[in-house]
This record gives sequence, structure tokens and C-alpha cells, in this order.
Amino acid sequence: MSTVAEINPRRRTALAALRRDPMGLLGAILVAGFVTMAIFAPLLAPYDPIKIDVAHKFAPADFAHWAGTDQLGRDILSRIIWGARTALGIALTATGLAGVIGLLLGLVAGYGPRWLDGILVLLFDSVSSLPMVMFALAVITVLGPGTSTLLLVIIIISIPGYARLIRAQTLTLQQADFIQAERTIGASPARIILRHLLPNVVGPLVIVLSMDVPVVIMLEAGLSYLNLGVRPPTPSWGNILYDGYTSLRQAPGMVIAAGLPLVLATLGFTFLGEGLRDALDPKLQLRVPK
Amino acid sequence: MDWNTDRRGLLKAAGALAGLMTVPNIAWAVEGDTLRVRVDGDLQVLDPWGNLGGIDEMIPRCTTVALIRFGDTREGNPLFNWGAEKYEWTDDKTIAFTLREGLVWNKGFGPVTADDVKYSFERIANSDSPWAYQFEKLDHVEVVDARSGIIHLKEAFRPFEIIALPYYGGHIVCKAAVEAVGGKYTTEIPAECGPFLMESWEQGQKATLVANPDWTGPKPDFSKIEIYIVVDDQAAQLAYEADAFDYTRLAVSASKQVKENLPAGATLLEMASSRYAWLTINIASPQLQDIRVRQAIQYAYDGDAVLLGAYDGLTGRSAGVVLPSTPYAREKNLIDRDVEKAKALLAEAGVSDLTLTLNVQTDSTSQAVAQIIQASMAEAGITIEIAPTEDAAYWVLGDKTQGDGYKTIELVLMSFAGGIEPTENLVWFRPDQIGAWNWSSFDSPEYEELYQKAQIETDTAKRKELCNRMEDLMEQSGGFIFICFEPFVALHDDNLKPVILSDGYLDPVMFKKL
Repeated sequence: MSTVAEINPRRRTALAALRRDPMGLLGAILVAGFVTMAIFAPLLAPYDPIKIDVAHKFAPADFAHWAGTDQLGRDILSRIIWGARTALGIALTATGLAGVIGLLLGLVAGYGPRWLDGILVLLFDSVSSLPMVMFALAVITVLGPGTSTLLLVIIIISIPGYARLIRAQTLTLQQADFIQAERTIGASPARIILRHLLPNVVGPLVIVLSMDVPVVIMLEAGLSYLNLGVRPPTPSWGNILYDGYTSLRQAPGMVIAAGLPLVLATLGFTFLGEGLRDALDPKLQLRVPK
Repeated sequence: MDWNTDRRGLLKAAGALAGLMTVPNIAWAVEGDTLRVRVDGDLQVLDPWGNLGGIDEMIPRCTTVALIRFGDTREGNPLFNWGAEKYEWTDDKTIAFTLREGLVWNKGFGPVTADDVKYSFERIANSDSPWAYQFEKLDHVEVVDARSGIIHLKEAFRPFEIIALPYYGGHIVCKAAVEAVGGKYTTEIPAECGPFLMESWEQGQKATLVANPDWTGPKPDFSKIEIYIVVDDQAAQLAYEADAFDYTRLAVSASKQVKENLPAGATLLEMASSRYAWLTINIASPQLQDIRVRQAIQYAYDGDAVLLGAYDGLTGRSAGVVLPSTPYAREKNLIDRDVEKAKALLAEAGVSDLTLTLNVQTDSTSQAVAQIIQASMAEAGITIEIAPTEDAAYWVLGDKTQGDGYKTIELVLMSFAGGIEPTENLVWFRPDQIGAWNWSSFDSPEYEELYQKAQIETDTAKRKELCNRMEDLMEQSGGFIFICFEPFVALHDDNLKPVILSDGYLDPVMFKKL
């Protein structure tokens, strides 16, 4: 029996690989569901999520309000649907922007002069050394709570991780034969970075970004729960969760209603991220032949 | 010895134990003679010169004495002698007192003297103390002998005994001990003489008071008081149900649910409180300097929705800051909701896309009020950005010693623990309070003049007229929207009779076992 590992000879697309991975597929379905919910929130939500109707506060779940109403008579289901837009909007925007900035800084650090690399690495290390929650609280205290502050905090916190990943990839790739060959024929640094380095470092970044989305969703929810994130009346799963906590005795279903999408979205993005990693990372495609 | 257990024996034992537990005295004996009450904030300054209310005021009530003291607000706020065995008005401007015999400071500072009373009151009068206004009419305290003295007022002012003597600055401190620590103190009391001594304080957790062995006055029902600091009402309610306290105040929104599922052995207490809530509209703020804009906010405010949504309809709309149960309260607000008028005023002022920041504390009731205000303002085209603000940052928003921020705050949801004396609630809106507690920057010389008159007016009808006019001026300035006097909701053990003062604070010394 051979114990020598060999690379799976079949070229698999990410989609095909995901299809064969039940958890990855579940993740993709959940994510697709939440993305659909976020995009079509105005069509899917049965009520205006910020419309106050104090005469019907804490209404139990029924056909009119499938998840009941909150302490101000707002339809909880509508708020959860719109909350998906808030959560994904912040998570995707923040990770997306942090990813782009991290990508650029990582490429510059990895391919640029040593002195610039030194400065950038020092910067990344400095930001990474800040305790995340304490840093977030400090920025929010100075700038005040709100969506833009939340985005800023998440982007600043996330950039160093992405930049370090790209830098490491770039440093490795710099020694590759095809890069050396490009240099030999006099290709410009811009061409080398854009045509050769960028396509090769983006894959791992996408995997990391997709796995960070649930972290950001949780961070947003956590800060909103503490009244430090999204400001009312904008629905956020975090502030719905907080409302649920303060009304736990009157409407215990609120906590579950807000917690469930949070859990499902977190699981969905995590499964999807892991599925993508399995599909795209060549090292994980090593197989032991039967 | 054989130890046999069977189902019958177990049931017998359980029945006997349950029977014992139903006897209140036995139940108390099981828990000991400890009174456990919950408060929603930690102590900061125990010195009566600068205490901030709440637990700050409750502890000196236990560890020192005032000449006279209030009884329970549900019994009509009766005044009775406490530190004084003799207390009487000898004319409209003088009060003679004789201290109770046997009052002794601990830590070897000797008996409590009339000189201590003189020191306690005169160091607050004409000082920077937040309670200096209470002693504004004090001329001096004359020491007659070791235990007797005469309080001389500058002019006739009967409310002095209501606003100054029973609490806050009225708590007597030990002159020698306070001077020894530099004239002021914060969390360590230099000398105590009351029925209890402060034994320990665990920051953010608990303060423990134990019976003072040298106390010769009426013996309290409890030998130990544990004051638990639990900020969150929801957590406090859960803790009460887990038998962590004997008394806790609840969130107003919990009232309905608690009524439906009252914990065994508990009593729900619901009453009107003297805590008045209002919306501050800062006249000095750049966006709010046009009175039409401020009036637009007043017209857009939906009072009914706030009362129903945030206070469960347990209280009515207030027409001012004077307690409604007194004969001085104003009957009606001048401005009622009229969204169209609000829009017209904004248009007349040439204002569109008005966005204002509303600072609000983080408790659930304040958050609910703020969101309803936000929704009602939106109907008039005013965008409100709610800024939930933690206690430490909140209470300095209008403080001029913190910089010029007090000029630019826009809207603030506020509430103060009030008193039964009208001028005690009206005092905060005088011109000299701008940059201190008058966060509306309401600057009215007429108000000040009326305030001075109301202080000394003895005719009830005339006094009401003065107070009502002052509240008219407040509302006409566009700087205020009166919301309500907040309902008071609390849970306590059946076998306990709490004593709650007019400001909603407790007098644990007077709590009784039933």
C-alpha cells in the first residue's frame, strides 16, 4: 500500500468542490439566503421596521406579526430582515475595504524597498498589538457611536492581518522562477505586481475575508448591543438582542428571534469560508490514494 | 446508629421545614438580622457637602444624624425630630434646637455638639457645594451650649426645614474629624455617630453597614444593612427572585409582567414619584437659537406616545417640575402636539434638513423615550440622532468646568429626583445654574425675580401663581418639554415595611420587620 501523497489530478472548480462538501454547501445556502434577505429587505419585510406603534407593544407572535412586536410595537420580523442588511452591509463593506487596503499595503511591503517594509511591518505590529475591544471603545468614545465609526474601527483593526498575509505571500512569490524571469526581461514593478503577484495572492485573501465576515457580524452586534454601534432606530441584530434582553420577561421570544439569525449567519459564513479554503487551497487537496 | 430514609420520612421532613419557613420570624432568623437593599449606582462622595444623591445620600442617613428627618412619602412626608430632641421655630427667622443626649462620634471624637451643627451648615452655605442653594437663607448658627443652638435665617423662610435640614447638606458632620482630613472627604467617612457604622465597601459591588454599639437612639429593626450595587434593573429583578435582596426598585416596563407573576412572598409597590423628567432644548446651541425652531420641537413632541410606550400609561403628562400633589403645581402645558404647526414654524424659520443630537442615558426607559421622541420629530421633518451616553459622560454634558461643550449640546433627556417644596425643583433653572444644571441655558431675569419671591411667599394661592408663571416662562422659552413625574415601581419582601422618601431614595434605618 502506497503512503505517498499525491495531488488530486482532477482540476476542481470552487463551485464543484463546494457542491461535494455538505457543510460548505450549507454555508453557501445560508449566506445566499441572508444576502437575498439583505438585498430584498424592502420587499420581504412585512412592515416598516422603524414604525412605532406603542398601542401594540409586546404583541405575541401571530399571523399579523410572525415574530411579535417589540417594546415600541415595531414588527420584530421586519427588523430582523432589515437587520440582515445592516449586518451584511457593515461586515462586507468593512472586510472589503480592509481587504483592499490590506492587499495594497501588503504588496507594497512585500515588493517594495526594505526600509518601507520595515516601517509598514512596525505599523502593522503596532495596530495588531492593540486590544481589539479596548481600541474600539476608545475610538467610539472619541468619535461617538454610529455606523461610520463602527466601519472605521473594524477596518483599522482588520487591515494589519490582511496586509501581513499578502506581504508573506508576496515575499515567497518574489523568489519564484516566473517572477525572476519577468525581472530578467525587464518587466516593470507595476506589471509584476499587477499581472503576476496580484492574481496569485488574492485567493488566500478571499478565503480569510470570507472567514472574517462572521467575526465582524459578531463585533457589530456586540457593540450595538452595548449601545456603541449602530444608532437607533436603524435595526441591527445587536440592538434587537439588547431590546430583547431588557424585555426578557415581557417578550422572551425577542432574544431568540434576534439570536437565531446571528447564529445562522455566523455559521453560514464560517462553513462557506472553510469550504472555500478546502476548495482553493492546494495544500488541502493532497489525497492519500486508496 | 441506623439512618433510614424513605419517601414518607422525606415528605414529613420537607413538610416540617416548609411549615417553619412560612413563619416570618423564623424566616428572618434564617436570613439573620440583615437588611439587603439594592441601589442602581455606586457611591462617589459621602461628604454631605458634595454628595450626589442615591447611595451617596443613603449612607450618611445611616451613619450620621440630621436635626429632623422625613418619614415615608406614602404617609405624607411627616417631619419628626431625629438628631434633635428639641426643635422649634421661635419666630419666622429662627429655629432653636437641642441635640439628643448621648450622641457620640466614633474614633474618639467625643460627643456631637452644636458647634458641629454650626460647622456642618455654614461650610455649605455660600460655598461651591451643589447644595449651597439649600442654605441660601441661612445667616448663621448660634451656639448656645454644647448641645443647643439657634439657627438664624436672613429672612423668613419656612421651607428651610424642608429643603435644608432633613437630608443632603442637613446631615451633621464632625467638625474636628473633617478638619483633620482637610475639610472635605469622599468615600472614607472620618467620624460617624448614627445608628450604623460603615463596615466595608466593595467598589461596584456592595456597601455594608453594621449597628453602632454607641447609638442610644431608637433601635433599628436590623443590625446590619447590605447595600448591593446593581446597575441593571433586569439583573436586579432576577437577583431579587433568586433571594439576593429584600428590596429592589424595578424598571417601569417590568410592572405589568411582575403583577401577572408576582414572586412568592413579595409585594409590588407602585406609586407616583417626585422624579421629574423633561427634554432639555439648549437655547445656546447654534442650531436652536431661533425660538421658532425650538417651538417646532415642542409642537412635534408626542407626549401620549411617550407615556404609553415608555411608562406603560402608569403616569400622566407633567405640566412642569413642581410636584403635582402639591397645591403649587401648574395644571396644563401651553403647547400641545401639532405637527403641522411644527412644520410651519420650521418653514417660517427657513430651516430644512434639521438634524439634532439627543443625548440620553443608557437605561431601557430612557432609550424608549428617546426613540419615541425621534419618531415624533421625524413626522415634522426633524432628524434626531440618539447618542446613548454613559453616566460619567452624561452628567458632565452641561458642566462649564469641562469646557465649552455645554453651549453646543442640543437635546438632552433629563430627570431629577425632586422634592415636595416647589422652589427645590425650580432652583435648577435659575440663570446662575447655566453651566451647572440649567442645561437649557434658560436665562430669564423674570424667572429669578419670581424665584426669590416664591421662596418667601407664605400665601398658598400667591405662591402657586408665582410658581406657575415660572413654569410658563420655562415653556415659552422653548427650552423645555415637560414629560412626566416618573412612576415608582419596586419589589420588596412581604415581611418588610420599607421607608421611601419623597425623592424615591430609601431610609434603611427606618425599615421595619413585619
